[in-house]
Amino acid sequence: MFPIAATLERLTADLTRDLSLFIPELILCGTIPFLLLLRLLFSTKTIPLAPVALAAVGTALVFALRTDLPTHGGTVTFGGMLLIDRFGLSVRVALLAYLLLAIPLGVLTKIPDREDAADFFTLMIGATIGLMLMTSARHLLMVFIAVEMASVPSYALAGFLKGRRPSSEAALKYVVFGAAASGTMLYGISLVAGTFGTGDMEEIAGQISYSRTQISLSAFAGVLLIFGGILFKLSAVPFHFWCPDVFTGAAAEVGAFLSVASKAASLALAARLIYYLGGTGVSHTNALAVLWAIIAGVTMTWGNLAAFGQTNVKRMLAYSTIAHAGLMMMTLTVFDYRAVPPLVYYIASYLCMNLGAFAVVAFVRNQTGSEELDTFDGLAKRSPVLALSMTVFMLSLLGLPPLAGFAAKFQVFAHLFENAHRYQHGEIGVFSWLYTGLLALAAINTALSAGYYLGVVRRMFLDTGEEAKAPLSVPFGGRVILSVLVGGVIALGGWWNPLTEQGIMAAKSFQHKSAKQKRLEMSQEQ
Amino acid sequence: MITISHYLAVGAVLFTLGLIGFLTRRNLIVMFLSAEMMLQGVAINFVAFSRHHGNMHGQVFTLFIIAVAACEAGIALALFLSLYRKKRTLDVSVWQDLREAGIDETTDAQPLTTTPEDADPILTKAGIAPKRPLEETNV
Repeated sequence: MFPIAATLERLTADLTRDLSLFIPELILCGTIPFLLLLRLLFSTKTIPLAPVALAAVGTALVFALRTDLPTHGGTVTFGGMLLIDRFGLSVRVALLAYLLLAIPLGVLTKIPDREDAADFFTLMIGATIGLMLMTSARHLLMVFIAVEMASVPSYALAGFLKGRRPSSEAALKYVVFGAAASGTMLYGISLVAGTFGTGDMEEIAGQISYSRTQISLSAFAGVLLIFGGILFKLSAVPFHFWCPDVFTGAAAEVGAFLSVASKAASLALAARLIYYLGGTGVSHTNALAVLWAIIAGVTMTWGNLAAFGQTNVKRMLAYSTIAHAGLMMMTLTVFDYRAVPPLVYYIASYLCMNLGAFAVVAFVRNQTGSEELDTFDGLAKRSPVLALSMTVFMLSLLGLPPLAGFAAKFQVFAHLFENAHRYQHGEIGVFSWLYTGLLALAAINTALSAGYYLGVVRRMFLDTGEEAKAPLSVPFGGRVILSVLVGGVIALGGWWNPLTEQGIMAAKSFQHKSAKQKRLEMSQEQ
Repeated sequence: MITISHYLAVGAVLFTLGLIGFLTRRNLIVMFLSAEMMLQGVAINFVAFSRHHGNMHGQVFTLFIIAVAACEAGIALALFLSLYRKKRTLDVSVWQDLREAGIDETTDAQPLTTTPEDADPILTKAGIAPKRPLEETNV
């Protein structure tokens, strides 16, 4: 019942190794009190906080890139709480890279002022620690804590524009729905952990595959409730209603954080949950897959249809986020290691293009004070830099050939097509139909989305408006960030190999099933 | 004889009551209270399962639930306070500026009655007010 001396000894023996794998998170954890103390002890005039935060994130990124990991599987750390593997690592690197771009962007667009810069960076870094834990959670307790650690700072970020009524309303809606969603997810966790007598997902997976036939109804209900919580984080359709409102009310920079970083980590967590709790060849696997596919398809279609006719650009981008989340969810319908390369590629491309789109929105807002779509009328004349980069991001979000969005979408489509073909002759023919349907739906949706993405481009280049408006200037740093992002979009669209190889490396984390099979064999022997 | 199913039933009832309260109430604080009640239902589940399996996993879960619930309550109540300062009401239906274009505001047939209150008390000033130069918003 209580940990015995031998267990404690093992934990202490592994501690050094575990901590060395955990260095990036530790650095971020240390940065938070350091930033707050700096503000407390010194005048913020003498010590600017942004470079400190940037340096910390950069160091964390270097350590994350140098992490030494086995090629197959991963390293189980902290007594089974976390699993550090290449899949989790690639998403963690993406999250840190996002922070590295988002912190200077926040400074340039002047979201935090001198007084509350420490708060802004603390909240961003704190939420990112939660997101990084989400990508490597292996225990249901860790799933819950990581989701909460990511959510609670996000609530505060949504309301960061103090004194603005829409921002407060956004925070209110996010907090209230988020609390209910985490309660629901936790009820699911209690049912699953209670039925199997443990929260360790590897053990649960072993018990599921040992049962072979069917898991109990309460455990299945628990699994569904857990996925409900994840769908809320992903803003998938039955739980998407918070997303447009929060994005409209919160600052564009916060919207970028919620749509890029939060989505990436939630997808990684969803992949792990499907891998562990979905089971293979068990009766509930098929039910889960069908349900997941339907939700993904509906999410994508709903997002794309609702994005038409939006007048606020942040609201339009929110629906576009919902649509992209649906497309990314499609890869996870029946999760196996083949889904990892397209997923990783999509996350990286989405980071560049969506952060870029939100950055342009933030720069336009700073100069005009408006986030309506008609502000973009004739932007090409007012600021060619902004208009050109926005065009690149929009075309990439749509998925046109030489850009990152095309490469990512192509890989997802290829994955869907391959699976439709692979399951055709298998015993579960329904999956083939499922994948064919998803493929068709995704193709139709891409055509649909052209309407509103190209609409923005048309506004910028063709609609000049009645009177000539003052030109907009972009700060030098802003030009640098935009060109880095545009460069990323073009590079990811042109050179697929480096990132695809990373994705294949990451996929190897799931290719070994030895632990699962060992457990199965062990339990059969008993 | 009280078995595990009795505990689970209590947990389920608490959770459902919380969910219903969350969906139907209009007062911000009561809504959040209901959401917290859902968590308490879960905590009962965990403790019952912990006893049932004879291990400490459920107890650990419960401790973390309590800690996280406190964090959430902290941030939510601080937010509600600032919202109340703006509109002088806890009615959630006054907060619907953000909505789909072309959809009318939902109006209640029976609006939440609020008792008119005194303004926030003004504390007597003490000491010299610190000088706070106006700065341009920049980092």
